[in-house]
Amino acid sequence: MSVDFRNSLLWFPVAALSVPAYAVDYFTIAEAQKMLFPSAQQFLVNDIEFSDDDKDKIKDLAGVRQRHDKQPVWKAQANGEQIGWFIVDDVVGKHEYITYGLAIDMQGKVIGLEIMSYRETHGSEVRRQNWRDQFVGKQVNEEFALDEDIQNISGATLSCRNLTDGVKRLLVIHQMALAKL
Amino acid sequence: MSFARQITAITTVVIAATVSLNVSASESLFGVIKGAETLPAGAMEIYQKVNRRSDKDTGDYVAYDFTTEVEYGFSNRFSGSAALKMLSLDTSGLIIDGYLPSANDFGLKLSGMEVAGKYMFLSPAKDDIGLSVYMSGNYDWIDPHSGQDKDTFSIETDVQLQKYFLEGEMIWATNFGVEMTYADRAEIDNLPEDFDWPTDPEMEIELKVGTGLSYRVAPKWFVGVETFYETEFETEVGQERWSIFAGPSLHYGSAEWWATLAWLKQIEGGGEQYENQPDNSLHLIEKTKQELTFMVGFNF
Repeated sequence: MSVDFRNSLLWFPVAALSVPAYAVDYFTIAEAQKMLFPSAQQFLVNDIEFSDDDKDKIKDLAGVRQRHDKQPVWKAQANGEQIGWFIVDDVVGKHEYITYGLAIDMQGKVIGLEIMSYRETHGSEVRRQNWRDQFVGKQVNEEFALDEDIQNISGATLSCRNLTDGVKRLLVIHQMALAKL
Repeated sequence: MSFARQITAITTVVIAATVSLNVSASESLFGVIKGAETLPAGAMEIYQKVNRRSDKDTGDYVAYDFTTEVEYGFSNRFSGSAALKMLSLDTSGLIIDGYLPSANDFGLKLSGMEVAGKYMFLSPAKDDIGLSVYMSGNYDWIDPHSGQDKDTFSIETDVQLQKYFLEGEMIWATNFGVEMTYADRAEIDNLPEDFDWPTDPEMEIELKVGTGLSYRVAPKWFVGVETFYETEFETEVGQERWSIFAGPSLHYGSAEWWATLAWLKQIEGGGEQYENQPDNSLHLIEKTKQELTFMVGFNF
């Protein structure tokens, strides 16, 4: 991945939850990890690097391209045992990238999603809990059609679409590279 | 160029742009071409557009069109806008019978107004292709070409298509439009002898087609190219003019504001020409050799 999230987002000042409509950064990586895995005591770096063939396979299975060669991934550990995976990703927004964290349990189901950075004029409704909760429990073999399986938010359609496609892509990556570990 | 050749030229322009190349809620990525998205419900934007039209190949000609526009999202599919237009003109060394009766030099003054509505039938972010219909009504009281008094009422209908590629990093937009105009010129004193300046009302129909492609080269920054064809038919002379413009555009967009700079050059044109026009491959009576457009918008 051309952007090393550990070098960029981790050190950003913590943004207050009451930021105005044009807020940029809501959570650091550490904060997002803690919110999605509250019982975890440790997060171990487990980044994945992709060959061109890997990226082609991801596109075939997910329906969208894997833009980066490297995906930042952490193992979430509690009491010395792994309880899931935390993946940081970015998807295309209208002007800038939307950065989010996804938590996946050991059975390959989505535990939760947190929007870490949202920099667009409109569409910050994707941060709402009820929209993000639609992904909880989702697995790679399920459908991810916008407005059918995941409800769209009018006025935030591009963000909804790319985040939905992004979650599907990360579940494909989990299936290809993490589920076997 | 015959009408058949013009149709071929239009088709070539559209197909070339569509095949070889391959725009945000009312945020303009291009100088002329519009995207298919509308503002979300409750959102408002204010735009300022400055368009510089220059060079008729003879004498000096520079016109500035200033448009200040407010747009509001009444629903997630329908937005409406209202605009005030101002014009400044500096022309000398060129007299065109029937069109440009004298040198003229004046600073900015109110020249017209516009109201418009846009309905999005298909969303480019969700459907296979975005589709909107845009309608506007204009009233202008100054002729934008000569700066003379002229009452003009026009209604324009555009079909706007837009498609996202690469998850939204590449945006293609195409517009088809028809504008119907009723124009009534005021009489002018002290016209040159035998100068033709009809003051009977006239009807005009303008057809437009254009396409553009924009690519996000870095977060917030888009580089694009656009081209469009326009032709106008008038009651007495039939096809009065046609022209093809093309050029690059640079767009910056952030959460709070956006700006676009576009340069358009007349590639080819025809129809009526003025006497002793140096370049017969262009239409330079109502059009200029180039246009430079700058737009800035603020989101609320």
